[in-house]
Amino acid sequence: MKSTLSLLCLLLVFLSCKNEDEPLPTISDEEIKAGGATTVFGTFSTLFEQPAANLNATEDSLHRAGNVAFEGTFVTAPAVVNPGLGPYFNHTSCAACHGKNGRSPFPDTGDDLGGLLLRISIPGAGSHGEPLAVPGYGGQLQQRAIYDTQPEAAVIFDFVETLRELSGGEQVMLRKPVFSLQNPNNGPLPNDLLISPRMAPPVIGLGLLEAIAESDILSFSDENDVDGDGISGKPNYAFDLQKQQIALGRFGWKAAQPSLYQQTAAAFVNDMGVTSPLFPAESCEGQPGCDDTADDPEITASTLLAAAFYSQSLGVPARRNVEAEQVRKGQVLFQKAGCDGCHRPSFTTAQHPEGHAFLSNQTIFPYTDLLLHDMGEGLADHRPDHLADGREWRTPPLWGIGLTPIISGHSDFLHDGRARSLLEAVLWHGGEAEASRQAVEQMSKKDRAALVAFLESL
Amino acid sequence: MQFKFLPTFLLILIASILGCSDDDGGTTITTNEFTAIIDNISDNVIIATYADLDAKADVLLSALSALKADQTAQTLEAARQAWRDARRPWELSEGFLYGPVDTKGLDPAMDSWPVNVTDLENVLNSNNNLTVDYVDGLDGTLRGFHTIEYLLFGEDGTKLVTDFTVRQFEYLGACGESLKLTTAKLYEGWIPSGGNFVKNFKEAGTGTAASVYPSQKAVIEEIVNGIVGIADEVANGKINEPFAQQNLALEESRFSANSKADFADNIRSIRNIWFGVYENAAGKGIADLIFDKDAVLDAKVRSQIDAAIAAIEGIEGTFTSAVFNSPSTVQAAQQAVRDLLATLQGEVLPVVSNL
Repeated sequence: MKSTLSLLCLLLVFLSCKNEDEPLPTISDEEIKAGGATTVFGTFSTLFEQPAANLNATEDSLHRAGNVAFEGTFVTAPAVVNPGLGPYFNHTSCAACHGKNGRSPFPDTGDDLGGLLLRISIPGAGSHGEPLAVPGYGGQLQQRAIYDTQPEAAVIFDFVETLRELSGGEQVMLRKPVFSLQNPNNGPLPNDLLISPRMAPPVIGLGLLEAIAESDILSFSDENDVDGDGISGKPNYAFDLQKQQIALGRFGWKAAQPSLYQQTAAAFVNDMGVTSPLFPAESCEGQPGCDDTADDPEITASTLLAAAFYSQSLGVPARRNVEAEQVRKGQVLFQKAGCDGCHRPSFTTAQHPEGHAFLSNQTIFPYTDLLLHDMGEGLADHRPDHLADGREWRTPPLWGIGLTPIISGHSDFLHDGRARSLLEAVLWHGGEAEASRQAVEQMSKKDRAALVAFLESL
Repeated sequence: MQFKFLPTFLLILIASILGCSDDDGGTTITTNEFTAIIDNISDNVIIATYADLDAKADVLLSALSALKADQTAQTLEAARQAWRDARRPWELSEGFLYGPVDTKGLDPAMDSWPVNVTDLENVLNSNNNLTVDYVDGLDGTLRGFHTIEYLLFGEDGTKLVTDFTVRQFEYLGACGESLKLTTAKLYEGWIPSGGNFVKNFKEAGTGTAASVYPSQKAVIEEIVNGIVGIADEVANGKINEPFAQQNLALEESRFSANSKADFADNIRSIRNIWFGVYENAAGKGIADLIFDKDAVLDAKVRSQIDAAIAAIEGIEGTFTSAVFNSPSTVQAAQQAVRDLLATLQGEVLPVVSNL
């Protein structure tokens, strides 16, 4: 009797926890340390501001200098500290958009866009495939300006809402912001103006992504979907100003920036109107209202290098809550739904191109393939950017995404911040992700919650 | 049928049902000690500091209005003192720069640095109506503490009331209103009847608060990282930048010569969190948690806090003059803060991580 009862108890313990046929895998220590040796641990709002855990003293010192550059607020020249703002700008410091190095929230009003900016162009492409600048306005709208300059234009937006019904009757209201410009100050805007809204993304883990071997990224490229899985994966290529040649793009929402050095310099000049040795001319050159002060470059090569290094040398947060059954189940569901077809879980980095040893040979879990994918009509911006057409976006990395509420105080996702939760973000996926999204829609509510719990553990 | 094993069986049944919850939101450490510390720090340190800041910003606004109405050396000095008095709770709040102060963009609205002097002059020379709405539409580098400071004290603190223009008095009034509106937003962002950020602290690990702080441990981590952050900022930012580069333009509160007070109040912000105190209110703080684990460590932090404040106040003359004229006292202050930082980072954080 005793032994029967014990056996019954044992059986019950096993059976009662079973709601899947197969046992849930455990999440390995390697996966928990998502950034390899750069990984930082904890759950607090300054986690994205922690330097990589494996910096040596020299690297730590450059990182600190980079932190000063990243947080430095620019003001109108002449000034004794940080002159060179504008004349047109989106914001006054790197950190003003990338608050605590996290993602920016969707703005409350068009008057204060915060970390959201609008890329603009007219149809066609330049000699390196780049979008064509809008005459009088350039390739990015700056809706702010220093005192004696009129901002390029004002931005307004409205929402188009659609209701989605998921299996089990759960309803989700999705909103899509539609942006338009008012009061253009540099001449009439063209009728065929193309607008691509972009939120400031998190800054973590970028150096590791830069250290992934190009051949590893290209190995997942399947532009014509030869393997017939519905997922293409297309590399973007853009002009590398340092190398003076076309190079694989890795950074930005459309992978149009080949290196962090160039990405950083482009952000200084386009977002803040701060010229550097890589971009010694104001982005507004040739426009009315552009400054003709002979103060360029407005930051030195060492400041630019330090700021770029800062973006390379931040720690990647460790996974959290990984023992939870729900999280482990969500991880299986993520794979089953085929999300990992684009959000590639893992790479091992090669030698970093600038030789940073702390970024090299690390097994990392960024959940991206750095390739372009057709994401469907719902997400399309209809603005080509190099080889990315108006429906294609680069798979964004997912590491750290679950920390968005604690770090940034919101849960706004996707390129224009339209999604107000991780589930909404998933439900916007279309195009090559159509089947994956449908799989999520058809999941039980409990499974969808598990999928979200998995994302929150990243 | 024997029933002697039934209780065991039932126990296992209950345990197995409980253990199967799909709602496992992580390790929720719920102890009375944690609750008492989090509640006290929330109410009696953080919200109390913000309430004081809001009250002092109101006094500053009144003083700026009085200066505008009656421009004398006395009203100017009263306005300057009101600025220092409002500056104090702000510096005392820099040990907890998380929540609405950060996510609602309130820090740059109050404490942007440097001042955009070129555009400030342009605005003052314009015909624009200097209302609070107008000022609030300008960048943070054209309003807040440092813009008010620049206008009240001048470049080197020798500005006389006769040096002011009418537009400057008007602009100061608008900046005072803007600051007061911002401090009110900050206070309201935390309290239950407002934005209720405090709920994320007090109800950590449960309900909607769990999506921000999945556990009480995460709140404790947040609080301790907050004081680590300001110790780092004082030692390696505020003191180091002007000192290492020998460039006084990089000193934050140089117009008012208030830097030593800023630094010392930043360390007092650490002290307030450590002891769970603000002015007359007192309760449990991080000290209570650390004392239980390592009484020697708690004593070390206490003495290093005192030493850091003493070393900062021991900087000879003003910080501005000491950078060149008494570098050893600046060095000593920086080292004392670095010692505190090393302990918080190297010894206190590991205790918290292992809670």
